[in-house]
Amino acid sequence: MLPRPDSFPVDLPPRHSVLSMPYTLTPGPATGTTLAALKQRRLLGSRFKTSGKVVVPAQDFCPDTGDSQFDFVEAPHTGVLNAFTETAEGLLGLVRIDGSDVDMAHRLVDTSYADLKVGQRVSAVWSDAPDAGYLSLSGFRPDASAPLGKVEPYAGGVEAVKVVPYHLDLHYNHAYGPFFGRLFDEMRTSGRILGVRMPDGDGALLPPREIDDISHRPSGTWVEIKQTGTVLAMSIIYLEFVGQKQPPPYIYAEILLDGARTKLIHNVSGLDMSRAKELVKPGTRVRAVWRVERTGSLDDISHFELLDGEEQH
Amino acid sequence: MSFPGVVVLASAQTELRPAWHSAQHVDLISAVSTAVFQGTGLTLEDVDFVIDSGSDVLDGRSISNCGFLGAMGAHHKEESRVEEDGLWAAAYGAAKIAAGGASAGLIIAYSKPSESDPNLFYKSQVEPFYQRPVGFDHRAAMGMQAQRYLADHGTSVGALAELVVRRWQDAASRGRVAIDSVPDVAGVLASPNVAAPLRQLMMSRLVDGAVAVLLVSDEVALRCGRSAPRITGVGTSMDTHAFAARRAGRLEAAEVAARAAYRQAGWAHPAPSLAEVSGSSAVGELMVLEAAGLAAPGRGLDLLEHGSPVAVNRSGGALPADPIMATGLVRLAEAARQLSNPGRYGLAAPRSALVHGTGGVGMQSHCFMTLEV
Repeated sequence: MLPRPDSFPVDLPPRHSVLSMPYTLTPGPATGTTLAALKQRRLLGSRFKTSGKVVVPAQDFCPDTGDSQFDFVEAPHTGVLNAFTETAEGLLGLVRIDGSDVDMAHRLVDTSYADLKVGQRVSAVWSDAPDAGYLSLSGFRPDASAPLGKVEPYAGGVEAVKVVPYHLDLHYNHAYGPFFGRLFDEMRTSGRILGVRMPDGDGALLPPREIDDISHRPSGTWVEIKQTGTVLAMSIIYLEFVGQKQPPPYIYAEILLDGARTKLIHNVSGLDMSRAKELVKPGTRVRAVWRVERTGSLDDISHFELLDGEEQH
Repeated sequence: MSFPGVVVLASAQTELRPAWHSAQHVDLISAVSTAVFQGTGLTLEDVDFVIDSGSDVLDGRSISNCGFLGAMGAHHKEESRVEEDGLWAAAYGAAKIAAGGASAGLIIAYSKPSESDPNLFYKSQVEPFYQRPVGFDHRAAMGMQAQRYLADHGTSVGALAELVVRRWQDAASRGRVAIDSVPDVAGVLASPNVAAPLRQLMMSRLVDGAVAVLLVSDEVALRCGRSAPRITGVGTSMDTHAFAARRAGRLEAAEVAARAAYRQAGWAHPAPSLAEVSGSSAVGELMVLEAAGLAAPGRGLDLLEHGSPVAVNRSGGALPADPIMATGLVRLAEAARQLSNPGRYGLAAPRSALVHGTGGVGMQSHCFMTLEV
């Protein structure tokens, strides 16, 4: 990074953030039917019409040809171990179900890593839990006497699972870096908003950064930016949506702080919302209102309030 | 079907560190997007397009390249994002220049896996109905692949540990990698079990960093007065998503990708002076070398021996430093540096290099590039 007077790593702890993603997954016919059949302790596969390939557990498409025309088959509960490993999740292996043309990855139970061998016979272990989903099949255990099974025609009688609820939480610890670090440190400790001068020296970049986005030239020295500004655009949010920080209605506005050349998006509030469209428009003058407890984030500014009697056109 | 003149003119790279706590993505990116022009005589104004490589999931924001455009120098330029290792971004850029539509492109790849849980990054790539519930993930895939490799070829975990030590030594002496101490064989074997038979240090170490590569046409390179390596072949291939349905004990997609690159380069018998390849594990690296035809199946370790015809991963490769999404582009930058400054890498007169990048759970996708001087 370029040397910059007064720019130094500010040792802020990283910002923790979570992306919490809810899903309603659609398993489709092959997987949906297989999931439902597992509850009946039946293991289904697909036999693809053009390639003749058998894939267990069932898939909608042939892994080799992409063929989507298939018949379900009832697969045996026995097979051969083709590879294995042990991770923090436990023992896992690649099992080739008798009669299948591809392996399946599943848990290995009632055994230990040292006792496993490629080529050994295994048989299915079933769960008694009523809502185990795919884990109705708990896994496979070594079973030297497991008979060689055979793929049989599908006997029917299974209603496919249509939707699988799912949730994925992704956690992050974002580093601030020297520019955002100083910005948020100054906001927390002294209630100041700092930018860096534009490469041409006229006005300031907010948030501060090493390189001006437009000219790709190095930005200049630090400069304090005024806490008053002008609304350039605004929107009143009425919609409710996942991840929303406050109940609607509320106002988001693009605000050009005095002395800055870049816009800041923040809330304008503290006004009679029934008159929002009339009170907040391009040209409306606003001022930052700070929270009493500051943590070093843009949220330390609780909102922008109207500056009475001032308007800029 | 030779590849029309595309030259790897220059590169810039941050140090690769386990964690860049003092910098965010844009800080790392602007460091390399400015430094890459030094000494070339070119500026950003000469650049026709920017292609970048990174992961929204790792970055923790959707369409993360939009927030990094300014740092990349892509404002109002033609910009594309490749959600795959940076070597694919370079392949895309090389194709644009080879097609004659552009004469200079900036290729950027970056990564900060320290900011998230990379296991979740890989888990998000795994099929959610059959694979996630049983705990199958990238580590498990690498473990099963290694278990099969060792069983099929009689390779010992001790030999894998020796490979790891060599790679860390090379990274410490020649790579641009932050390394506190180089492990010894006993240390590798004593590191925690991650995916048996693989120990922690037999998996690639995830690091933060950014890299930029400037690709130009022959004509621009000539104007710059630089003799730099030319890209002579590119090949990519992707294996089936279901790890269990891939052919055990082989990286078939890597074989296909390498053959395609060789065909383009006119290499009937691949014998590059040097190779910079990526592997998510020690076994993964060996399997890539074997898939590329540089060693017979199960004989990848022979390339470590004195007198080996190919200098493999003089930078240390991906085992000591794997900035996911940037690893392959780092390999390209390293190979180009080694061809341009062979003395620094203990090489006499290298004429050609093989470069490799990989991506996905259990190394599903592969990209090869051939360089010649």
